[in-house]
Amino acid sequence: MQHPSIPLPPNMSPPPTLPASPESVLDEGALARLRELDPDGRHGVVTRVLSTYEKALARQIEQMRAELDSPRGEVLGALAHTLKSSSASVGAVAFSRACEAFEQRMRQGATAQTHDVAELIRLAEAALAAVRTILRG
Amino acid sequence: MTTAPTSGFDDLPERPQVLLVDDDEVNLLLTAIALRERGFEIAEASSGEQALAALAERSPDVVVLDAIMPGLDGFETCRALRKLPGSENLPVLMLTGLDDDASIARAYEAGATDFFVKAAQWSLLAGRLRYLLRSARTRMELERRKSELARAQDLARMGSFEWRRNEKRGVMLSVEALRVCGFGSHEDVSLRKMLRLVPADERRALLRTLHACLRQSTVVAVDVPLVLRDGRQRVVRVEAEPEFNEHGHGAGYTGIVQDVTDRRQAEDKIRHLANFDSLTGLPNRRQLIWRAERALEVARRMQHQCALLLIDLDRFKNINDTLGHSAGDDLLVEVARRLRACVRHSDQMMEGAIDSVGGRSHRALEAVGRLGGDEFVALLPEVTEDHDAEAVARRMLEALRDPIFLGGQECFVTASVGVAIYPRDGQTVVDLLRNADVAMYSVKAQGKNATAVYSPHLAGRGREKLELESALFRAIERNELVLHYQPKIDVRASRMVGAEALMRWERGGKLVPPGDFIPLAEDTGLIVPLSEWALREAARQARVWQQQFGFNDSIAVNLPTHMFERSDLVEHIHQCVTAVNVPHRAIRLEITEDNLMKELQNVIPSLHRLNEIGVEIAIDDFGTGYSSLAYLTTLPISELKVDRSFVRDLGITPQSSAVVSAIIALARALGLRVVAEGVETLRQMEVLHRLGCTVMQGFLFSRAVVPDELARWLEQTVLPRKAPWIGSAAENEGGPSAELSGSVRRYR
Repeated sequence: MQHPSIPLPPNMSPPPTLPASPESVLDEGALARLRELDPDGRHGVVTRVLSTYEKALARQIEQMRAELDSPRGEVLGALAHTLKSSSASVGAVAFSRACEAFEQRMRQGATAQTHDVAELIRLAEAALAAVRTILRG
Repeated sequence: MTTAPTSGFDDLPERPQVLLVDDDEVNLLLTAIALRERGFEIAEASSGEQALAALAERSPDVVVLDAIMPGLDGFETCRALRKLPGSENLPVLMLTGLDDDASIARAYEAGATDFFVKAAQWSLLAGRLRYLLRSARTRMELERRKSELARAQDLARMGSFEWRRNEKRGVMLSVEALRVCGFGSHEDVSLRKMLRLVPADERRALLRTLHACLRQSTVVAVDVPLVLRDGRQRVVRVEAEPEFNEHGHGAGYTGIVQDVTDRRQAEDKIRHLANFDSLTGLPNRRQLIWRAERALEVARRMQHQCALLLIDLDRFKNINDTLGHSAGDDLLVEVARRLRACVRHSDQMMEGAIDSVGGRSHRALEAVGRLGGDEFVALLPEVTEDHDAEAVARRMLEALRDPIFLGGQECFVTASVGVAIYPRDGQTVVDLLRNADVAMYSVKAQGKNATAVYSPHLAGRGREKLELESALFRAIERNELVLHYQPKIDVRASRMVGAEALMRWERGGKLVPPGDFIPLAEDTGLIVPLSEWALREAARQARVWQQQFGFNDSIAVNLPTHMFERSDLVEHIHQCVTAVNVPHRAIRLEITEDNLMKELQNVIPSLHRLNEIGVEIAIDDFGTGYSSLAYLTTLPISELKVDRSFVRDLGITPQSSAVVSAIIALARALGLRVVAEGVETLRQMEVLHRLGCTVMQGFLFSRAVVPDELARWLEQTVLPRKAPWIGSAAENEGGPSAELSGSVRRYR
C-alpha cells in the first residue's frame, strides 16, 4: 500500500553533525511530561523509562551496526518505526524525526544506503549518550 | 494513584482490566504507567503471540493493540483474537500512526472496535478506553435484552410486525411473529397471504374492521381466528398502533401478534362452566335468569308478553332412589334432550346487551334451562296468548311419553308444568318463577302429568297455604323431613318394647309441629309421598338400631286411611324392609279408630294382606270413635292404643278408669295388646298397671326424640335403672329382675 510522499520537515536537512549537550539532544518538554507522570518521583518513573530506553537503544544500535555492510530496508524500517516513537517519548526529537523520515523512505520503496544507516547510528549514539548522562548525573 | 474514574462512567468496573500490546518497551512502559495512574489495571504483552497466549488465560475488559509490530502484527493478532471463544465481542483499540489511513482501514477490517493515534495523550486514551468499555457494555446489554425479548415473545407466543401503506414489501414480521402465524422464518409475507389464513366467513368482517381502523387511523385490537397452513386452528390477538408521516397522515401500523388460543379456550371453558349445567349442557339457573331478565326488558320495551314454564319431573326421587344416581343422571340428560327439542332452543352464550330495537334477536334468548335437581325452566321470549305457552308445555309432556331406557330397563317419566306469563302473572323474573312454581304445584296436587297456567285464585287457596304446600312438596326432596321416636315401655320389665315414629319437618331451621302440616298433607294428597318416605325411613332406622344395640321390636308408623286403599302399599313395605334387610314385623302400622271405621270396607283387604306378610296393625286413639265391636273381632289387628284423654283423667274422674278397664278387658278377650298413650305421671302409670295395662308411652318415660338420643336414653337411663318409674311397678310384680337384665343385655 503506497502512501503519498510526505515532505521532510525543513529542519531535518541537513542533519546536525556536531555532538550536542544532553539538554539539546533531549527535549526538555518531553522530559517534563515524563516527570508529570510521577510528580513527586516516588515511583521513579523517569529513571525507569530512561533506563528501559537506554537498554533497548543499545541493543538496537547493535542491530543497526549489523546492517551497515549490506543494509536491509525492511529490518531497518521496522527498527526505525520502533525507535521513532520511543525516542519521541523520551524527548530525543532529532533522532525520532530522522527515524520517521527513514521509515517513510523505506515505506516508499527507497533502497537503504550505508551512509543513511551510519547517520542514524550517529544520532542514536548521541541520544544514548544524553540519556546516560541524565541517568548517571 | 488515586484518580477517581471520570464521572459519567459509573457503570464501569472499578478498575477495568486492559491488555496492553506493544513491541516498543518504552511505549509499553509509559502507556502502562499512564493508564494505571488513570484507574486501569494493566497486563502487558510485547508481541502479538504473547497477547494471544495471555487472552487464552483470562479475558480482559479491553485490549489496546499496537498496529505495527514484528512477528504477528496488530492486524493479524486482532483477527486471531476474534476467533478465540469469548473474545468475539471483546473491545479492541488499535494504536496506529498519525495519518496512517491504511492502518485505520485495515484495523476495522481486522475486527478492531476502534483506533487511536499513538501519542502521549494519556487522558485522551483513557477517555477513549472508557467510552469503548461503556459501549461494549451497552452492546452486550442490548444483545442480552434482544435475546430475552425474543425468548419472552416466544414464550408468550408473540411477535411484532410492521406494515407500511403504499409499500410493496408487504408486512414485515419478526421471526417470532412468523412462527405465531405458522410461516417459515425467512418467508416473505404479504397482507393478502396473511388474510388467506382467516376462514372465509370471518374474513369479510375482519376486513371491514381493518378498513374502518385504517380510514380513521385508530388502534387495531382484534382477535382473529386463523387456520394455519398445517391445519391447526388458532386464535391470534392483533394489536397495532398507527404511525403517521410528517404530514400527519397515517403511514402504516406497528404492532404485535399473539397466539391467545389457550387463553381463549380457557375463558370459553370458564364462561361455559359458569353459565351451563355440566350434566345436561343446558343453560343453568344463572344463565337462564340472565336471559329471562333480558327477555323481560325487551318485552317491556316492545310491549309483548313472554312466558316462563317451570317443568318438574313427577316421582323423580323414586327413580333416583331405586335405580341409583347414575341412572337418575342418565334420565335427566335424556329428559333435557327431549325438552330442548320442544322450543327453538339457543345454546348461544349471551352476556352482552341485546341490541334489538324492533329486531327479532330476543328470539335467540329462547331456551330450556335446568334450575337444579329435576327442575327445568323454559323461557319463551315472546308469546301472544296463554295458548302458545300451553302448546309448548303439551309438546313437552308428549315428548316425555315414550319410555326412557335406563340400564336395559324401560322407565316412564312424567312431568308437571306450571306456566306464568309476563306481565300478567308477574313483573320480575322472581315473581314469575314463584308463580310458575305455584301453578306447577297445583298440577302436582291434582294428580301430576299436566299443565296449569298461574291464576291468583288457583284452587281457591290462600297464598300462604299455597306456599306452605309448595314448600312441603319440596320438603321430601330436600330431606327436610325427619322422624322422631317415642319408646313404648313394658313397665313390668322396665324395658323398651318398641317405638312410635312421629314425623317432624325442619323448615328453615325451625321444627314445624305435625299438627301444622299433616292435615295439609292429607288434604292435598302429599301425605302419600310423605308416608312412603316415613316407611322407608323407619325401616332404615330399625336396621340401624338392630346393629347398634340389637333392636328386635317394631317401629310403628302412622298411616292415613287412604294409604291402606293403595294397592301398592304391601309391595312398598316389602321393598322398604327387604332393602335394608330387616323382617317385615320391624314395621307396625297405626291407623286411627276414626279413620278405620270410616273406610272400613276399603281397608280390610289391605289389612289382611299386611297381616299375612307379618306387618302388625295397631288402632290408634282407641275409645274416641265408634267402633263396631262386631268388626273389631274379625279385623286382623294386634294392638289397641288407649287414647291419651282417658289416661290424662285417670285418678281424676272415675269414668276414665272405667273406660280404660273396659278397653283392657275387651283387648284381653280379643287377644290384643293394650298400649296406653300420654302417660306423664307415676300415678297414671301405677293406676294403668293396676288395671292390667303394662305397655305405655308418654313423657314420663321419654318424649319423641331423634334416634341417637333414644339410643343414649336407653344406655344412660334404662340400662342403669336410674329413672323414677323404674322399680315401682316392678316391685309390685316381684322379681322381674331376670327379665329386666335380659332386656338390658338385648339392648346393649
